Amino acid sequence: MNNDRVVSLFMENATKCGAETFRAAGLDEAQRLLDDLLRNAKSIFCPGVGEKERALVIPPEKREEDYREASVCVEEVFGAVAETGSIVCSSEGGRVVQAGLLPPHHVAIVPQERIYETVEDLFALWGQDIPTNVTLETGPSRTADIELTLTIGVHGPERLTIIVAP
Amino acid sequence: MSSSREAITFRANVQKALRDPMLREAIKRATDTFVTKRTEGIASLPMEEWREKASTIRMKVLDNLPQYVEQFCASAERAGAKVYQAVDAESARRTVAGILEDRGVKKVVKAKSMVTEEIHLNPCLQERGIDVLETDLGEYIVQLAAEAPSHILAPAIHKTREQIGKLFAEKLGVDYSDDPTVLTRVARNVLRTEFLTADAGITGANFAVADTGSLVIFTNEGNGRMVTTVPRLHVAVLTIEKLLPSVTDLPSFVRLLPRSATGQMLSSYVSVITGPRKPGDFTGADELHIVLLDNGRWEILKGEYREILKCIRCSACLNVCPVYRAIGGHAYDSTYPGPMGIVLTALLEGMERAHPVLDATTLCGACVDACPVKVPLVRLLCRLREASVEEGFAPLLEKRGMSAYGAVVSSPVMFAFGQTLARIFWPFAQKLSGYGPMSRIPRPVARAFRRRML
Repeated sequence: MNNDRVVSLFMENATKCGAETFRAAGLDEAQRLLDDLLRNAKSIFCPGVGEKERALVIPPEKREEDYREASVCVEEVFGAVAETGSIVCSSEGGRVVQAGLLPPHHVAIVPQERIYETVEDLFALWGQDIPTNVTLETGPSRTADIELTLTIGVHGPERLTIIVAP
Repeated sequence: MSSSREAITFRANVQKALRDPMLREAIKRATDTFVTKRTEGIASLPMEEWREKASTIRMKVLDNLPQYVEQFCASAERAGAKVYQAVDAESARRTVAGILEDRGVKKVVKAKSMVTEEIHLNPCLQERGIDVLETDLGEYIVQLAAEAPSHILAPAIHKTREQIGKLFAEKLGVDYSDDPTVLTRVARNVLRTEFLTADAGITGANFAVADTGSLVIFTNEGNGRMVTTVPRLHVAVLTIEKLLPSVTDLPSFVRLLPRSATGQMLSSYVSVITGPRKPGDFTGADELHIVLLDNGRWEILKGEYREILKCIRCSACLNVCPVYRAIGGHAYDSTYPGPMGIVLTALLEGMERAHPVLDATTLCGACVDACPVKVPLVRLLCRLREASVEEGFAPLLEKRGMSAYGAVVSSPVMFAFGQTLARIFWPFAQKLSGYGPMSRIPRPVARAFRRRML
């Protein structure tokens, strides 16, 4: 499967699981998408460590340093798995994996070249040398514990937005 | 839930369950939904191939369990975790309580774990003055109501939204609402504070990986992630059969577990946790303690029921079981209900207590077809029934009846005589009972099949 087909399969599956997905042709387009998404955001946590995080502009007046207090977390995640429509968060390089969990809205920038076709392909990357925390995040937080009524946003984000960017 | 040796009062529990129309409706709706979603979820997938592969991996684990346990302990310690091996529930409880007390823990948040239910961990910690909060929404509801889970995956399916609304209003002092979205929001807010102020998190694990020493936790709500990343101390309690040989075996189970459980392609969150936070990390607890529990598993492994240890607790067998679907989980009066639960209960709690629940099966085999790891549940259940008779647990009437039946059918003359008697007495038997099973016995034919053959 070529990269383009893997990207579309990932976006299709992630959408099925309740995520909003966008594909940006370049960082300029990613910035425009992000500006739209953040227009009504109250406070934004962004680690500002990853290459794409540094290239993207977050309105400084809305920046929040404590992810526990933020209403949105914008971050460049490790990658994604097409087969399951999951984004992959990893603790490698000092990343705060739980930062994408606490705020009600998680905006994940997925590097296009790190979308893997299968779960096997993903775990093969590390072998036995796996980071402290690897989390596959598939759609928003959900529960059906009350009369099996699907309710979005329990302990994790009620909204997951994915921007695939080169 | 009682942990005494007294036999489970299964028949009485069933009568109670069947007389509760709300419970029956709730259980029926839940199991129907799970079954439909699972059927849709696995359509057009090579399920047979996946099940075969998963079953082979699980058998490999059981065949080499001592080696994998040793390997897991070494890998987890290498990754920085502290591993404790506990032989029984008592030693596991003592170990967990010791870890918490040594660190002055006052409040613990928990992610759903059947093993901690099995060892009755919560009451033990509460007796020692430690606050224990369940954070899975269903478990939280069940804990607030001081009840036991009725389904291993959806613990509160036996409660209606109105009951939950009243419970929240009464216990949490919020305005009454029966809207699941509002109720979920209330729980989110209450529990968010608890996550941020808890001293420790306790979880089970869906799997543990021998070659990396990792714990794998699936949740939909995100509470599993909260519990393992927000408090500074993480204690995981799991039984030895949760092991998988390698991280390369994980994908098979990532595909099978959620699809078998809820029909989802994947649970919202799957976390693979390898050791505590290391230098340079900003994720994970500062300390990770893993309590690896036997609690009867080594004994099961040696015997003829070992294949039950392949079970990955997906609950697919509960949802398809005609008995579970009619009575729900509480009637089994055990940590584990449904077909796999009957087998585990008999093996873990002993025949004396568990023999009445061996009746809770029709041996239809729906569970065998649904099981993602091919546990031969019908064979195990039949064998356990035989064992219960051999050990003298069959009721007197059944024993006498069976030996009388045996005597009759082993002699052609007696058998023919029996057929004649049945024909003569059938109308009286109908009048005598008038209801119940007797009325469902069909009228004996005038000329029996074997006489037509002679």
